[in-house]
Amino acid sequence: MILVILENQRGNIHVFSKEAVVAGQSLASKLGMELSILCMGENANSLKEQASDYKAKNLILAEHEMVSTYSADGYSKVLSDVIKDLSPKYVIMGHSYMVRDFLPRVSAKLDIPFVSDIISVTYDGDKPVFARQVFNAKLATNIQTDPNSSTTLLSFQSAAFSSDDIELGGSDAAPVFEVNLNSDDIKSSSEPEFQESSAGVDLTAANVIVSVGRGIESQDNIPMVESLAEAMGAEIASSRPVVDMGWLPSYRQVGSSGQVVSPNLYFSVGISGAIQHVVGMKGSKNIIAINKDEEAPIFEIADYAVIGDLMEIVPKLTEELKK
Amino acid sequence: MLDRVVGFKNNTIIMKIAVLTKAIPSYESSIRIDSTSKWIDESVVNFTVNESDSYALEEALQIKEKLDNGTEVVVVTMGSQDNTSKVLKDGLAKGADRAIFIQNEDSNTDPLSIAKLFSDNLKDENFDLVFSGLQSDDLGSGQTGVLLGELLGMSTATLGIETDIQEGKIKVKRELESGWFQWVTLPFPASVSIQSGINERRYPSLKGIMGAKRKETKVINGQLSDIPKQNFMNLFMPKTEKSTEKIEGDVDGIVAKLMDILKNKLRIVS
Amino acid sequence: MIKFSLLEQIVLVLFLCSGLSFFLYQLLLRLKIVLKGKSDFSIDQLPDRLKRVFDEVILHKKVASGGRKSAGIMHALVMYGFIFFGLITINHFFMAFGIHLFNDTFRLWYFRLFGGPWAFLCSFGILALAYRRFVLKPKALGKFSATSGVVTIFIVTLMLTYLIDELHLLKNPVAFKVNWWIHSGIIGGFLFLIPKSKHMHLVLSPFNIFLRPFEIPNHPAIPIDLEASEEELDNLLLDLSRLSKDQALDIFTCVECGRCTDVCPANRGGGILDPKYHFILNLKQPMLDSGDVNVVDKINVEAGWECTTCQACTEVCPVGNHVEKADDIRSFQVLAKGDVPQEYQKLLRNLQETGNTEGASSSELLQQLPAYTSDKELVLWLGCFAKHAMDPNFVSSVKNFTKILDSAGVTYGVLSNEQCSGDPANKLGDKLTYQLLMDQNVKELNKVKNVTTMCPHCVVNLQKEYSKYHEIKYKVKHHTQVISELLDQGKITINPGSLEKVTYHDPCNLSRTLDEVSAPRNAIKAAAPDFFELDESGKETLCCGAGGALWWKKDSGKGRTHLLRAEQVIESKTDTVVTACNFCYGMMNQGIGPLTPAGQEPIKVKDVADIVAENLS
Repeated sequence: MILVILENQRGNIHVFSKEAVVAGQSLASKLGMELSILCMGENANSLKEQASDYKAKNLILAEHEMVSTYSADGYSKVLSDVIKDLSPKYVIMGHSYMVRDFLPRVSAKLDIPFVSDIISVTYDGDKPVFARQVFNAKLATNIQTDPNSSTTLLSFQSAAFSSDDIELGGSDAAPVFEVNLNSDDIKSSSEPEFQESSAGVDLTAANVIVSVGRGIESQDNIPMVESLAEAMGAEIASSRPVVDMGWLPSYRQVGSSGQVVSPNLYFSVGISGAIQHVVGMKGSKNIIAINKDEEAPIFEIADYAVIGDLMEIVPKLTEELKK
Repeated sequence: MLDRVVGFKNNTIIMKIAVLTKAIPSYESSIRIDSTSKWIDESVVNFTVNESDSYALEEALQIKEKLDNGTEVVVVTMGSQDNTSKVLKDGLAKGADRAIFIQNEDSNTDPLSIAKLFSDNLKDENFDLVFSGLQSDDLGSGQTGVLLGELLGMSTATLGIETDIQEGKIKVKRELESGWFQWVTLPFPASVSIQSGINERRYPSLKGIMGAKRKETKVINGQLSDIPKQNFMNLFMPKTEKSTEKIEGDVDGIVAKLMDILKNKLRIVS
Repeated sequence: MIKFSLLEQIVLVLFLCSGLSFFLYQLLLRLKIVLKGKSDFSIDQLPDRLKRVFDEVILHKKVASGGRKSAGIMHALVMYGFIFFGLITINHFFMAFGIHLFNDTFRLWYFRLFGGPWAFLCSFGILALAYRRFVLKPKALGKFSATSGVVTIFIVTLMLTYLIDELHLLKNPVAFKVNWWIHSGIIGGFLFLIPKSKHMHLVLSPFNIFLRPFEIPNHPAIPIDLEASEEELDNLLLDLSRLSKDQALDIFTCVECGRCTDVCPANRGGGILDPKYHFILNLKQPMLDSGDVNVVDKINVEAGWECTTCQACTEVCPVGNHVEKADDIRSFQVLAKGDVPQEYQKLLRNLQETGNTEGASSSELLQQLPAYTSDKELVLWLGCFAKHAMDPNFVSSVKNFTKILDSAGVTYGVLSNEQCSGDPANKLGDKLTYQLLMDQNVKELNKVKNVTTMCPHCVVNLQKEYSKYHEIKYKVKHHTQVISELLDQGKITINPGSLEKVTYHDPCNLSRTLDEVSAPRNAIKAAAPDFFELDESGKETLCCGAGGALWWKKDSGKGRTHLLRAEQVIESKTDTVVTACNFCYGMMNQGIGPLTPAGQEPIKVKDVADIVAENLS
């Protein structure tokens, strides 16, 4: 069977886990296997509630006081026990920071392979073939796993599947897994999570970037773009001229002499696309560019080329986003 | 926990810290699939130290200097002789006390096998701390540090962006998603994977470069104990069908289209 | 005749002797420190040195120049005043002993021709300078200087007491004596004032100007032997912390005028670097405290990394100082401490691992050009900038140069194993990486005779720097020198081009270090009838901001050093700016586009090769 594990993110099912469910449902259907969804550890019960209408064979609950907050020690022990008990063929999660932190422990504990950060699945007959990126995403590789391995761990890269595609229909049963943990199992301890004010931002960590160029024409128009960025949950960045003129601090600069970024979405506003800028962002997974000039070089690398007046588009878009 | 004599100096434990360092193709190298399709053509590649590993080394060296009690930093690498020698030289020149080279000429792509090779050959060293880079810029699995930690019975943490050595334990500030952080406390022995940017890396001084020659490098012939449980079937070029979709028209139309893309296609907003 | 009592004579002698001893003690103390410095003073090319002293001291060529011309002339008045008063002063003291060196007629004529007029001129000069310093308060002169105030009062009083004496205004013997003693007291006072103040330049600057090395910059080789013993290494590292004799003498000679800071591009760009303090004055007290020259570690490290090594500071100094010390502090930081800013570590690693600054494994341009064989006249040395298209537009400039060579029938080829000249490593203080590259290059280059390149940084290293470490058998010419020669020899003809306004930005390495300002102009003027000079041109050029390896520094928030020259070019309202260095070319391209006000056509950036090739007949 296929086992998908839901991850808790501040009380909700992590979006990566939703994508993992889609992956699980897809694999289960292609391989003719059953799908189980495991809600374990932190907020397990609430996760189970939230997943109640996902189509699956069952929704397994594994709770214990000692894993009421995440720990690599605790989660890896619990999951290992679950796997030993249920022998799933594939265990699927999204490739989140948490998964990177504890799933390899399970791999080593049980001597089973963990194929991480998968971008797509194809099928060789009835054998799934997993692809992942290598060499800084310059190449990709198909991975072959040991067919005799009782269980294979998998994690999928964000947006490899879309959470929109979750099949609904509920699950048959809701078994409760007996978690056995004692204090020897958990050696580490953790403090509550916290946020920090961003002084000197690391743009390379941003998921969405709204970037502004000379087309903005005046420093007075910067706040308008900042509002858009805020509405999108994005970091604001810029091309070099904007920084040179002092309209934004230099750590916001993207380009060959600034930061090199590859966010999920690079939303450029009034940037022509000079080569010194483009080399800093062409690795972005999705590029939307707004520019008045149809011939602007940025359109060569954009996924979506918006030919129009940013002065009108940006405020309207911000308004729509805030709704 | 420790099968060896624990030394104390200045009221602090004298530690042994291993830093796993990998030689990987530099970012500027041409990456070309070789004739077997299972690996790249190494003849056109310039091998250099994996970036997050160099941060891990710097962190270990800073701990050594702060403790100033004879704590040992050992730089460890695995691979072929040609590619890895500069990694060890660099580590020793920067201040590592000695080096361990696990020689293995195969292009190993199974994280678990790699970790087992390390574990088999390092377990007798009884390291208190193992530092590794978050992930390597060639395979990028990001698993080695955690796998090795589990195999050696250590506690583990990943994405360390700050460390704090205390009596018998290490506190690690982990980077979480979306700008959140968390401090975790791990007892020794511990394996921590280190994120780039955690510190300002030093450059080897002239004394360091010249002194590196005199430091010990242990060469071990590394043999895989098992058959790898996963490996590369074939490398291929990712398809880059960049089709640009033009969006024109009146402002409202454009905004509506953009909302659709942001919400439904890219799922940036809900 | 006024007579002086024995008591007065004894007091005078004691006073003057104590002044002289103090003066000599302080002078010798400083000279002792200077002599502890590394390497030796050079006294080659004697006639040139003497001419330089004449030009810069007597003719005040550097003092009375540029924006400070009038102040310089005022200073000249004061200096000549002092010179002319030499005789008068001697006579003044001999008078105490009843000895008259000069008879009355001589005295009268001297007074009429020199003494009188120069008393006025000198007073005028010093008062004008005092007005400038205390009323106008230019920034470069820094905070309030009490010694300058004292000097002003001293000089004016000296002139007044002299005039009073010569014009016989005081008939009363007591009044006369008082006047005389005031005059003597001030002269003695100078003996106490000069040695510990900036006025030491009076004594030291003619010597400092005489001894100044002709090379600019003049940093010594730092050969590193990787097989050296621990002791030899320790000595090398110790040496890195010490100044040379020239540098130590410079520091004591400094007149604190602030011209170096005024011209410094890093300072003007808003950086913290202040050459007057960071490179000179901050080192004075440490030297006096320790009695030795081991003060390199007192140079502000951050300031040291900001320097573009353009040598404008050295060029402008009126007392013969070689101001820039970035090389010293950087070498110390890198070699002794392994302290290299993060943004440069990748650059140095690239040089070590791939022999070029960009970490590239191949060069498209190199493959497109003919290979050098021994039957060809010239080696065309490309340099990393051209080879790895650090500004993609420059590749066509290289091709334009080859067009010119083809047109003149000059045969050339490129070297397939050309390594980076090592300039960035050298400028950053990583002399070890520099040597690795240099040793490889010299081996190849010593097999050839004539080399040309479009990058002045490469010329400087291949010709001048390498010769500090190796015997160099080849000759290197900058491409503008080759073009200019071909033009003069009639091997190419250039037709005057369009009437657009054309100006030229002198690259620091070419104009100051290589002393070449005429070859590029020869070529450009043939092609551009409407040529004009920028402010700060020739050897006074303002650095484009890419020097000292700063091209590779990721913006870390501070400064507009990289924009200053581009701004000046835009302000000049030229149509085209021509450069003779690939880095300057790249900087102009990066700066001009973004800084051009909306609605204005961006200025065209061309290399000398471009404008010549466009107008070849």
